[in-house]
Amino acid sequence: MVEFTRRSLLGTAAALAAPALIRPAWAADTVKLGCLFSSSGTMANIEGRLNHVVRMAAEGLNAKGGVNGRRIEVVTSDPASDWPLYAQIGRQMLQQEKVAALFGCWTSVSRKSVLPVVEQNDGLLFYPLHFEGDENSKNIVYVNSPPASSVLPAVDYLMGAEGVGAKRFFMIGSDYVWPRTINKQLKAYWTSKGVPETAWREEYVPLGFSNFQTLVNQIRSFAAQPGGQPIVVLTVVGSSIPDFLREFANQGIRATDVPILGLDMVEADLEGLDTAPLVGHLNCWAYLQAAKAEANTRFLSEWAAYVKAKSVPFSADTVIDPMVSAYDSVQLWALAAAKAGSFDVPEVRKAFPGLSFADPSGYTLTMGAENNYVARGVFIGSVNEKQGFDILWQSPDAPKPVPFSPYG
Amino acid sequence: MSGAVDLSPRVPAVRRIGPALGSDPLLASLVVLVLAAALGLVLLQPAPYLVNMVGQLAAFAILAVSLDLVWGYLGILSLGHGLFFAIGGYVCAMHLLAHAYAVTGTAPDLMQFMGWKSLPAYWTGLTSAPYALVLALGLAAAVAFVFGLASFRSRVNGVYFSIISQALVYVAMLLMFRNDTGLGGNNGMTGFSVLFGWPMGSPGVVTGLAVAALLTLAGVLVGAKVLVASPIGRRMLACRDDEARLRTLGYSTTRLKLGIWCLSAVIAALAGLLYVPQVGIINPRVLSPDLSIEIAVWVAIGGMGRLGGAVIGAVAVNALKFWLSAAMPEAWPFILSGLVLAVVLGLPNGLLDLAALRLRPASLKPTSLKPTWLRRGGGLR
Amino acid sequence: MVEGVRRLGLVALLAWGASLMMPPALAADAPLERGPFAAALCGDGAAQTKAVEAFLHRAAEAEAAEIAWAGAALRALLDRRLACLGETALLLDRTGAAEGVEAATGTARPAAGGRSPVLGLRQRALVETASGAAALLTGPSVEARRAGLSILERRIGAVPEAFLLRAASAETDPGLRASLAAVAQSAALSSPDPARRLAAIRAVSEAPSGAAFSRLSALKTDAAYGSDPAFRSALDAALARVERAVSIGNGLAVLYNGLSFASILFMAAAGLAIIFGLMGVINLAQGEFIMIGAYATYGVQEVLRRLAPAWLDAYLLAAIPVAFLASAGVGIAIEALILRHLYRRPLMSLLATWAVSLFLINGVRVAVGSQNLQFAMPSYVSGGVPLYADFVVTWNRLFAIAFAVATLALTLVILKRTPLGLDIRAVTQNRDMAACLGIRTRRVDRLAFGFGSGLAGLAGVALCPIYSVNPGMGANFIVDSFMVVVLGGVGTVAGTLVAALGIGSANVLIEPLYGAVAAKVIVLAGIILFLQRRPEGLFAVRRRR
Repeated sequence: MVEFTRRSLLGTAAALAAPALIRPAWAADTVKLGCLFSSSGTMANIEGRLNHVVRMAAEGLNAKGGVNGRRIEVVTSDPASDWPLYAQIGRQMLQQEKVAALFGCWTSVSRKSVLPVVEQNDGLLFYPLHFEGDENSKNIVYVNSPPASSVLPAVDYLMGAEGVGAKRFFMIGSDYVWPRTINKQLKAYWTSKGVPETAWREEYVPLGFSNFQTLVNQIRSFAAQPGGQPIVVLTVVGSSIPDFLREFANQGIRATDVPILGLDMVEADLEGLDTAPLVGHLNCWAYLQAAKAEANTRFLSEWAAYVKAKSVPFSADTVIDPMVSAYDSVQLWALAAAKAGSFDVPEVRKAFPGLSFADPSGYTLTMGAENNYVARGVFIGSVNEKQGFDILWQSPDAPKPVPFSPYG
Repeated sequence: MSGAVDLSPRVPAVRRIGPALGSDPLLASLVVLVLAAALGLVLLQPAPYLVNMVGQLAAFAILAVSLDLVWGYLGILSLGHGLFFAIGGYVCAMHLLAHAYAVTGTAPDLMQFMGWKSLPAYWTGLTSAPYALVLALGLAAAVAFVFGLASFRSRVNGVYFSIISQALVYVAMLLMFRNDTGLGGNNGMTGFSVLFGWPMGSPGVVTGLAVAALLTLAGVLVGAKVLVASPIGRRMLACRDDEARLRTLGYSTTRLKLGIWCLSAVIAALAGLLYVPQVGIINPRVLSPDLSIEIAVWVAIGGMGRLGGAVIGAVAVNALKFWLSAAMPEAWPFILSGLVLAVVLGLPNGLLDLAALRLRPASLKPTSLKPTWLRRGGGLR
Repeated sequence: MVEGVRRLGLVALLAWGASLMMPPALAADAPLERGPFAAALCGDGAAQTKAVEAFLHRAAEAEAAEIAWAGAALRALLDRRLACLGETALLLDRTGAAEGVEAATGTARPAAGGRSPVLGLRQRALVETASGAAALLTGPSVEARRAGLSILERRIGAVPEAFLLRAASAETDPGLRASLAAVAQSAALSSPDPARRLAAIRAVSEAPSGAAFSRLSALKTDAAYGSDPAFRSALDAALARVERAVSIGNGLAVLYNGLSFASILFMAAAGLAIIFGLMGVINLAQGEFIMIGAYATYGVQEVLRRLAPAWLDAYLLAAIPVAFLASAGVGIAIEALILRHLYRRPLMSLLATWAVSLFLINGVRVAVGSQNLQFAMPSYVSGGVPLYADFVVTWNRLFAIAFAVATLALTLVILKRTPLGLDIRAVTQNRDMAACLGIRTRRVDRLAFGFGSGLAGLAGVALCPIYSVNPGMGANFIVDSFMVVVLGGVGTVAGTLVAALGIGSANVLIEPLYGAVAAKVIVLAGIILFLQRRPEGLFAVRRRR
């Protein structure tokens, strides 16, 4: 019996020690990049595609001779939408695989989970999602926009004469940090603009909530009250988005009556919906598929070809902002490493200020010396009949990122 | 199953350890192995991520033992043990944050997004580790006591208890997901930078935590073994196999169940306490009903009703999960479900049955699977 | 009249837009010039706004042909069938067509390189209204004209009164003419003629809604409210009437929301109640049977799309037997392969069904993908109809309620009126005795398990128009539906029904007060407390023991 037990435990230990990540044979002339995107669990449908984008970007760089004379090798994994596992695998990638940089995380909580790991090991994490801001680690590059430089311009637009002259606001969000922080900043912003407190309402639902009847009733009665044009600021996430939109349309409200500004809404959320009664609702990102830029045309065709060649299990003709942001991340890292002439994190980090890259959105991304954020443009998209977004408005240039919001 | 051990209650607990372990060579060797692993970590200094993984596995094993104590020995399947694990975890996280705040002066994220100027009153004292320990274990015991008292007094049994405990952990999850609850909502708590004044993540702290978890595991195993080999352990088995008869014999089964239930909750909280500093994050996911079912799965796979089985199950499943979720992510859920079905259908005592096929069958006689619920009348009571 | 009331309900909802959209008095009374108008449609937001407002302002006098022409151009702009080559607007047959005709002249031209403008929200509202006005006046059929009117009603303040009068006098259909007159009447709230104002107040109060209340309350600041006692009393009476109606409407809405949530809960729990009551098996894979039912529905839709596109709209009905059989088949297979061996170990069967659910979720994920499935929503499950005040009956929820009622009836008939039902009830009450009497309990178990799984499959059909369908959809129902079963009392359909209604309405009642999260927490905590006191639930089946 002792025999058995010991053997089984030894076996386990052997399993633990075995190289646990998929990787081709190690070679001296390569440099490794690690991916932390889930391909199973709740985030799989949206996060999964980013693994492929990082690979595609690396292949593109390799085709041009790699970086600093070395080929890039991408190490992928599956944190299975399990937050502690992101930290676990991140640690393993930094310590065992010695990756030069990590690309990963979608939710704020997964980033918060990896943050101490990259700080303790002085690694580098490129984070491709927009988020609540109020964070600035020297070990994380925030490739997407904090709310102060993306959400506020969009809301400003809607409040202006060019938009709808919005006067009253119904905020509805999933109950967690991102929506709450956004709404907190919005309220402070409105207060600074002299909007009275009676002009907004704030409601939160649990994550994964789907029964929106009562809330949509409340929105209708809110809209019926006097006081000017109402809009809905929607910060629910995941499966709650289509469920909300469906109920909203079924109760007969159109975008011309009460427009929705869906801050986390992407094409994938419109899959399976009849978008005819939803035409005109808005979203807001640093990239939209319809962006008019040569780099975008190139990116779209490159992605379509990659999907076809590698039979990637995702749509060849849907590209969402985080995909482009992940692509930008790899390019920014490569530019910084080339500029530094090294893969050492402190050297690469020193190379960040002054980097610029013309990305598919048509804007030129830049990084400054004061923080690890990237300046991006702002797009406002408008839902069309074909489950996509048309560009309604875009910022004249890429606003300087403001990590710590002056509002709230 | 405990053979010829001297069970007399007069013998002091310490002197019962030897005989208790002697009656269960599997467990004894596991304890030795755990202690050897702790020593190995200190002497060999493997890569920190490996050390960390071993430490996490030890925390899971403690959690599995806590469930086995009530399920394997009392027949109460809790599908809400994640609640006690989370209580330990959350209190530990609060301590770490309060401590880090006191030492480094950097305000935790939590304060920032809650808009707090200082930590609220209920965090008072949490900078002290002993207080945090007492609070975590005491809170777990108190919650377990209230819930257990209500359930056991009204004789909520079997699957009813399982469902209700699942609902309890689900309610707790919803509650903790709420931002207004004040413990970080979905983001939970992270950014623990110091432990007893040392920087978190330094090799010494990582090893120290893992060793602490291993030693605790050894201690819990020995303690639990002594308990189940004692007269109380006998009563537990009797209660599992035929509660009504035990009651008729004059024993208060409510008191017995309540006591063991609270003890189990405390051990689960201990596991949470050890788990959180090692992973560096706590979030309401640990309260998801799925995780609580998974604990039962570990125990079932390892072999319920044998403390060693719980440890083996927890270690085997989690090690496999760590490994496969990176190596073969697509296959992992299928392997897990196949494993569960194979164990449930083919190996009623889990992986230990595999060992029994080859080794002395006498020492591994299956623990009783008497279908009391069916024999004692129609439905499932 | 009911017609009018209904549509006015819609208007009222949106009346806030009225004041914003009021066209400024424009001096230009020149006839519509096609070239500049088409060019303006291709211009920026300000140009579009100006041109369309001018068009609306003159629509009362313009020639019908001109209005029809402008209507076509506006419609094309809305549908993104307008391509702009510089300032020249082309009308296309469909979005992205290679060739079109010049809007102003009608000459054919290739559309390559054209840009199709995206309407801003403000412009979209205006263009919609203008194209509605064109449809009302020049629509070829009564339906087209009625549709035009219903668009106008949403933004009635932007429509000149003279235009409504012209439309009413030109209208040939008596029903539509009456509706038009009613709309025109209620549009006269700020008319200088006191008699017409009173009539307008009455008309508005006859279509009560929250928005009507706001519109009427705004009149309280009117000078006439202080000086004219007749106006004052008419307004006060109207306000009281609207307020009462609105609260009745809100009450109805709460009832309806509770009922629809309860019917979803009931459908998810009904099969579970039977399985649990009969066999004591906690089936954690029940949610996945719902998912299988939904995927079967999707399969039926795809088959119909290929083979009989004309019948596509009927796929939800055609899917009923398919979904039932698919889920029941999977259920029977699982029973035969796995659960049969575990009847003596209920806690192990719980783990086994958990493993099955894990397997099914991931199997479907690998086989079909993790994205939400695309359903074509037939008209009978999309949209809704305003019934009274602000109370809107949404068709998809009504479908679910009807489905739940049918499920209930089916379950009751099978349990009470068929030999199988008799066997199920006998085995549930006393397994040993039933076996002694010659009932093959194992066969009853299997059929009942199949039936219970099939009911979950039916729930899957009903949920397709309400929730997103993906591999993980079933997981959301498990805790809730077990609470329903245990609260109702194991083995009673009536108990399940009452519990579902109770939980559904409690959730809906608490939600507006404390928010959705707290509502769920309060309801579940309440159930846990209740069960601690009364473990057998609301209705306990009398069992022999």
